[in-house]
Amino acid sequence: MSPLTPSPDLRPYIDELERFADGQMTPEEQEAFELRLEQEDALAEAHATYEQLTADLRWAAGHNTLRQRLQSLDERMNERGDALARAQSLAKARQRRVALLSSLGAVVLVIAAAAAWYFTRPSPARPDRNWEAYYQPDPGPAVTTGLLHTRPLLSEALDQYQAGHYPAALHSLGRVSPTSVGADTLLYLRGLILLRQGQGNAAQLYLRRVGEQDSSSELARRARYHLGMAYWQARELTQARAELGTVAADSLNPYRASARQAIAAGVLQAE
Amino acid sequence: MSAPLAETLTQLRVGNQKSLVDFYQRSRHLFARWAQRKYQLAAPQAHELLQDTLLDFYDQVADGRLTLMPADLRAHVYGMAQQRLAAHVPTHMPLPAAEASRRQHLLAQFNQLGQDCQQVLTYFYFRGYNFEKMGGKMGFPNATVARRQKSNCLRKLYELLK
Repeated sequence: MSPLTPSPDLRPYIDELERFADGQMTPEEQEAFELRLEQEDALAEAHATYEQLTADLRWAAGHNTLRQRLQSLDERMNERGDALARAQSLAKARQRRVALLSSLGAVVLVIAAAAAWYFTRPSPARPDRNWEAYYQPDPGPAVTTGLLHTRPLLSEALDQYQAGHYPAALHSLGRVSPTSVGADTLLYLRGLILLRQGQGNAAQLYLRRVGEQDSSSELARRARYHLGMAYWQARELTQARAELGTVAADSLNPYRASARQAIAAGVLQAE
Repeated sequence: MSAPLAETLTQLRVGNQKSLVDFYQRSRHLFARWAQRKYQLAAPQAHELLQDTLLDFYDQVADGRLTLMPADLRAHVYGMAQQRLAAHVPTHMPLPAAEASRRQHLLAQFNQLGQDCQQVLTYFYFRGYNFEKMGGKMGFPNATVARRQKSNCLRKLYELLK
């Protein structure tokens, strides 16, 4: 058996020994075998060797089983540890990503706020280039009871104009007779309404015709200012500058200050 | 080890290794930390050392060298591990003991057998299954086939040993 000590050869007896040990013999066979064990030294020696072999085999099988169980458990625990480590690493990476995105978001927010402040802050170095910033509107004559009685259609048009209902005001103004109000007044009012409606080009047609008869009248002076603004609104800056320049130079014009401010701002030079 | 100590030893003798497997599962991490701190062993080496030590312990119980269950199993196992390290026992080799050489020879030959033969011999000699139960586990048609298979495997092992 042992590589170190010689042991009897089991092969001649192994069938019997196995049947005896495994309880496969009949009671008679077993009795006879037990008798032989007492009488035959070689068989008794082989039996002892067989018992030692099976005892060693029991030990080897148990040892092997425990080793395999421990190794298998070890692998499972390693896998679980690896999975946990991976999950922790993923969670950390996610936290880092969230922190980074939050920081980026905060930076973007700060930049956006700074940009918003920069572009919206009032700056003397960057004058407003919009015509409306300089425009001084003319509300037109006040709608009095007398006017309401004498010129109801004109009163209605003025009322609508002053309320900001420009299309309705234009419609009402179309029903007013030039003979009862005066052609220049109608042209002037129509120009004003169109200008406020954002139709600078159309407004120019009417405002230009005001004062064709008398260019030094009060209405003609007013019309010149609004004509300048109509040019500006239509982005015809050269004409706007010329017209507003005239107004700024006219000491009798009620819009002289507004025109001067627009000229002085220099925004009509090259937009 | 929640079972009484004497019972644990008896269970081990009849082949119930659950207590040692549970011990390994519970102690692996702490043992690795201890071995790292005391002997600078990396975790995989520490795990192998604990496995080998538990196998030694099992062998001592199985062959009757250990007849009394240690009151402090943890301290006993750690002491055995220290002895292994001090004696420079190679990995997967048990401590020197009586008949160790013969058993190691048998164990080596046992591992040369095919998986089915190892399983059949383990069922019969370690688990104590009868031929009918073993036949059912192995998928043999009846107990007679199981008995023949066991006989063949035992003879193969014996031939390898000679």
